[in-house]
Amino acid sequence: MGCCYSSENETQEQRNERKPLIPHPDPVSKPPNGTDWITTSVPSAKTDEQALLTSILTKTAQNIIDVSAADSVMMEQHEYMDKARQYSTKLAVLSNSLPQRKALALPSLTSQPHQVLASDLVPYSDVQQISKIAAYAYSAISQIKVDAKEELVVQFAIP
Amino acid sequence: MESTLEQHLDDTMKNPAVVGVLCTDQQGHNLGCRGSLSDEHGGVVSVLAKQAAALSKDPTDSPTVCLESESGNILVRSHGTITVAVHKIAS
Repeated sequence: MGCCYSSENETQEQRNERKPLIPHPDPVSKPPNGTDWITTSVPSAKTDEQALLTSILTKTAQNIIDVSAADSVMMEQHEYMDKARQYSTKLAVLSNSLPQRKALALPSLTSQPHQVLASDLVPYSDVQQISKIAAYAYSAISQIKVDAKEELVVQFAIP
Repeated sequence: MESTLEQHLDDTMKNPAVVGVLCTDQQGHNLGCRGSLSDEHGGVVSVLAKQAAALSKDPTDSPTVCLESESGNILVRSHGTITVAVHKIAS
């Protein structure tokens, strides 16, 4: 037969080897989700063949792992603790190798505030200069506009 | 397009004592930068200007923020929808 699982010369011993520890309650009468076992196409004349097909069907059903029906894997307490420790160690190692984002703040200011506070006031020319630069930058940005070089919508040539 | 702004930033850098210049929008998105001020400073610069403006009762008043240090100053000022920061070293 054209079945992938057809193994007519398999012994009973081999079947037992593959038998799951927890057998499926009733694999034939209760197929996994979305699986429809079609048995009507099998010729009913030969009883032996029918029995063989049934056994193949049973075995196939046992080999299928129905993920949707499976319970979530429970993790042992110590296993959970081990994993938590492992991940936190890994994170600590990685965070040390990461660049310090704090260091990317504005360029360094001062470690001696008294010197800065005692110094002269910011020159008014500097304030005027920044005002001028800002005003000019604003005008430069307001000049930015979309420079359409080609049509966004193209008509296909329809004869 | 943005060539006028790029040219303006380049011209600003030619000023003596200017070592960095940055231009951001209101959200801190970098519109252009040169020298010591770079991409990641956009957020700080725009927020500084915004917070300084919030101190004033006059909504049309646009303050200039100056961060002073012994090695130079960073001046931050908003104009319309943009904020410009200039890093000047002590001359």
